[in-house]
Amino acid sequence: MQILQVILQVVLAITSLLLTLLILLHKGRGGGLSDMFGGGVTSNLGASGVAERNLNRITVILGLVWVASIIVLGLITKFDTGL
Amino acid sequence: MFKAVARIFRTPDLRRKIGFTLGIVALFRLGSFIPAPFVDFGNVQTCLAANQGTSGLYELVNLFSGGALLQLSIFALGIMPYITASIIVQLLRVVIPHFETLYKEGASGQSRLTQYTRYLTIALGVLQSTTLITVARSGALFGTSTVAECGQLITNDAWYAILLMVITMTAGTGVIMWMGELVTERGVGNGMSLLIFTSIASTFPSSLWLIAQTQGFETFLAVLAVGVAVVFGVVFVELSQRRIPVQYAKRVVGRRTYGGNNTYIPIKVNMAGVVPVIFASSLLYLPALIAQFNQPAAGQAPAGWVTWINNYLVRGDHPLYMLMYFLLIVGFTYFYVAITFNPEEVADNMKKFGGFIPGIRAGRPTAEYLDYVLTRITLPGSIYLGVIALLPLIALVAVGANQNFPFGGASILIIVGVGLETVKQIDSQLQQRHYEGLLR
Repeated sequence: MQILQVILQVVLAITSLLLTLLILLHKGRGGGLSDMFGGGVTSNLGASGVAERNLNRITVILGLVWVASIIVLGLITKFDTGL
Repeated sequence: MFKAVARIFRTPDLRRKIGFTLGIVALFRLGSFIPAPFVDFGNVQTCLAANQGTSGLYELVNLFSGGALLQLSIFALGIMPYITASIIVQLLRVVIPHFETLYKEGASGQSRLTQYTRYLTIALGVLQSTTLITVARSGALFGTSTVAECGQLITNDAWYAILLMVITMTAGTGVIMWMGELVTERGVGNGMSLLIFTSIASTFPSSLWLIAQTQGFETFLAVLAVGVAVVFGVVFVELSQRRIPVQYAKRVVGRRTYGGNNTYIPIKVNMAGVVPVIFASSLLYLPALIAQFNQPAAGQAPAGWVTWINNYLVRGDHPLYMLMYFLLIVGFTYFYVAITFNPEEVADNMKKFGGFIPGIRAGRPTAEYLDYVLTRITLPGSIYLGVIALLPLIALVAVGANQNFPFGGASILIIVGVGLETVKQIDSQLQQRHYEGLLR
């Protein structure tokens, strides 16, 4: 159990950092404040390239790994201390 | 109306977009319930239950994260870092000339600004998650709570555990930002504001239920009635605008004629939106924070000014607090409108394209006229903002509800604003295929 926990923690640390980096690599689509609370014309210049699509796929997979490691870690902590 | 709703679901494109948006919203809510690693879920829940209804320091922030903050979940910070980052970047436009040139550059410059906002969001995420975890670790997250569990929210005190929590929460902030952008790109409406909308709306049922439980059913019904009336009022003011007519001169370039049409510059009564309310409440939160840092050791009497702050500026039900809140909001409304709408720029643009306001000369007189109209129309706008923001505080006294009183303050403004915007977007999508939309 101890080893699994350590492995998961390392996985979590790595995926968190990578996830943050990958998300920063994306092209921003938010339009700032005036966009957020009414007012302003939202321009929908879609057309994301191949690079963006691949980035999306990698980000989603990484995000799944991230969530899974958090949940498993949480379960381990719960049953270790709870029982 | 109902036919239009049915038509939304018959349009495959729109159906896919709405489905995508709902999916992201569901993921966002789900993530708000997953506790961060090393957080003792049971202790957090007992502590939350014990402190239900008391208003702590973090009420507003907690409201924006939909209750995720006090649960110490992976999405604890919610959308707040992004909001703060965009406010900062927008304000820096006044200070740093480089930002201003980027903003004026058009689409490419603005995407650079967005990128700066994103970096700043992550930086703020690190900062805020560190603060949050430090506070939670010291047991002060729930103010001066006497429940023992509140002191033991975190199971592992080692430095690597704290570090891991910080980077996890930062990554969570990033994920929320990305989800918002995905909604903006592929869904309906503006993603960021929809996520705020979700967080705020998710606290509605529980806080309404709290009123029903503690105050009885009649009060509950009265609150509902007042709420509906307030929503009507807010929609009315949000949609009202003054239209300044603009005439464009007819120009012939080659074989084409340009211009020659009548348009108008819409000047909304409430041009500033919710931002002044957010500013004012975060500014008023500062003295309370300072007072908390200056708590004396046990047994000693606190310093005079600390007592003064505690008496007048921490609890929301004191008249002095209300007055200051109101004045700050009025001031910030003018400040923010001055930042977002520049009459000279508008006048210049109009002059460039051959437009003029009937009866007023182009150039400087136009700018002065616009400024005059803007200043006058902002006065009722700012008073309206102040009154709406004071509603929860009044309710605090009248009904004994907590500060999260659902029908008032920043929450109602955001809910109505975002709702209107999203409906408008769906409407314009519908009109691409049919002539009649949701709005008449």
